[in-house]
Amino acid sequence: MSGAADLAIRMQGVSKSYRLVRDRPMSVKEAVVRRSQRRLVEEFWALQDIDLEVPRGSFVGLIGHNGSGKSTLLKLLSGIHRQTTGTITVDGRLSALLELGAGFHPELTGRENIYLNGAILGMSRRQMTGAVSEIVEFSGIGDFVDAPVRVYSSGMYVRLGFAIAVHVNPEILLVDEVIAVGDEDFQRKCLDHMAELRRQGVTIVLVSHDLDQVRDLCDRVAWIDRSLLVEVGDPDLVCDRYLASIHGEG
Amino acid sequence: MRTVSEPQSGGPISQVKRGLALARAYLPLTFNFAQRELKVQHKRSALGWAWSLLNPLSRVFVYSLVFGVIFRFQPPEGGSGQLNFAMYLFSGLIVWLLFESMIRGAMQWLISVGDLRRKVYFPLETVAFGGAAAVGFQAFIEALVLLAFMTAYGNVGWTLVLLPVVLLFAAMFGLGIGMVMAVFNTRYRDVENLVVILLSTTFFLVPIVYTEEIIPEKAYGLPAADLIGANPISQFVGTARDVVYFLEWPSVARLALLASYAFGSLGFGWWFLNRRSMALSEEM
Repeated sequence: MSGAADLAIRMQGVSKSYRLVRDRPMSVKEAVVRRSQRRLVEEFWALQDIDLEVPRGSFVGLIGHNGSGKSTLLKLLSGIHRQTTGTITVDGRLSALLELGAGFHPELTGRENIYLNGAILGMSRRQMTGAVSEIVEFSGIGDFVDAPVRVYSSGMYVRLGFAIAVHVNPEILLVDEVIAVGDEDFQRKCLDHMAELRRQGVTIVLVSHDLDQVRDLCDRVAWIDRSLLVEVGDPDLVCDRYLASIHGEG
Repeated sequence: MRTVSEPQSGGPISQVKRGLALARAYLPLTFNFAQRELKVQHKRSALGWAWSLLNPLSRVFVYSLVFGVIFRFQPPEGGSGQLNFAMYLFSGLIVWLLFESMIRGAMQWLISVGDLRRKVYFPLETVAFGGAAAVGFQAFIEALVLLAFMTAYGNVGWTLVLLPVVLLFAAMFGLGIGMVMAVFNTRYRDVENLVVILLSTTFFLVPIVYTEEIIPEKAYGLPAADLIGANPISQFVGTARDVVYFLEWPSVARLALLASYAFGSLGFGWWFLNRRSMALSEEM
């Protein structure tokens, strides 16, 4: 990859440390009482010195063990957390599917929540009005759109969340294993829709433990292990090495 | 849209510029938070919106009963020669209610949005400003009721046009303090309890239910009248009373002072919330 390529995401020397405070005081009283005691502060590096380039329009899979830093990487890209060192350049409107329906308010109707969620994802009211019927159609919740979200089944909740997130016209889409929920039909629909978005030129970064899915969908795979980026490259090649490392350890 | 994120934020000027650009980009979200606050407030209650009027009116009633009828405080003469304790009380209480709702609201808004902020990125200020807009709307309705009272008693004048300005400044002053308290409250929930105690204490240290005249010059060796008079909230309350009850124009110096409290408090609060915003999203 030459540096001059059109990049959607560029991470340069990105590291993220979290401060783990053991027994952090939860009230003022505790804080005062324990003032004299030494507080144990541990530094935990969730990601270290990551250099990653994601060309525009590509479909990149992130693989690795639980706790290797994949989700942290998505959190940094979406701006939920800020990196400790390094530079992240994101070029394009970004939408993140980290948790579906995260912004839903139980007392508001599906329709009201569509507007609220759209606003959280950076859409104006006018833009959302254009997308509402498509969202309702895609999610398949039908007349429930005018009922408060608290009466929804968990499946409807997730389907509405996904429908909103993919209909806000993202240029870059971050997906964190969310599609593992929902029934077979809906999963299929989600995958098809992601393929469609990709055809339209949307850049997608997907975290997945399903290696078959990754081989099938992605054109590049990044393998993260214990906060370090091990390898980026051809899906089959990287997935094979990843598998080999698991069996090697086992 | 291209965003470059670095761990350290730039100098003060670039921070202000970025803050304003963000504020504009997230205006729809702020508006949505305000709408959500207003819609959800009285969901599942039989009286619904009536509650937002019953609360302030019941306080006007109770305080008038206790201090006006039982303690027999004589209110000073209003602009059109009226002597009415309830009107005297309400014209100051409206400022206090706004101030109080901003501070208590800010703490609740930040807590309520914590879960969401761990999953989606958005600037935390949006929920504070959205909530503030909802509270502002409430104050607007209260002001209409107050004006209706004043009109019914024939106590009206051109000075009333300044009421929105005084209320706006009081709201900004309260919101700034609220933002700072809200940040502390995400860490230690005690802060909310502490603030409630401080607010109910401050309420009686401001001439709302009594008149400035009855405050002793000196109490326990302290210049009580001067101390109470110097309290910014006393000055907001006093100015609101000037324009609504006494129908007198406040001095330009007084308005400038209120403006400096308002912008100073909100500026600091916004800066503080913004500075702690990223750390909060990891702690919340």
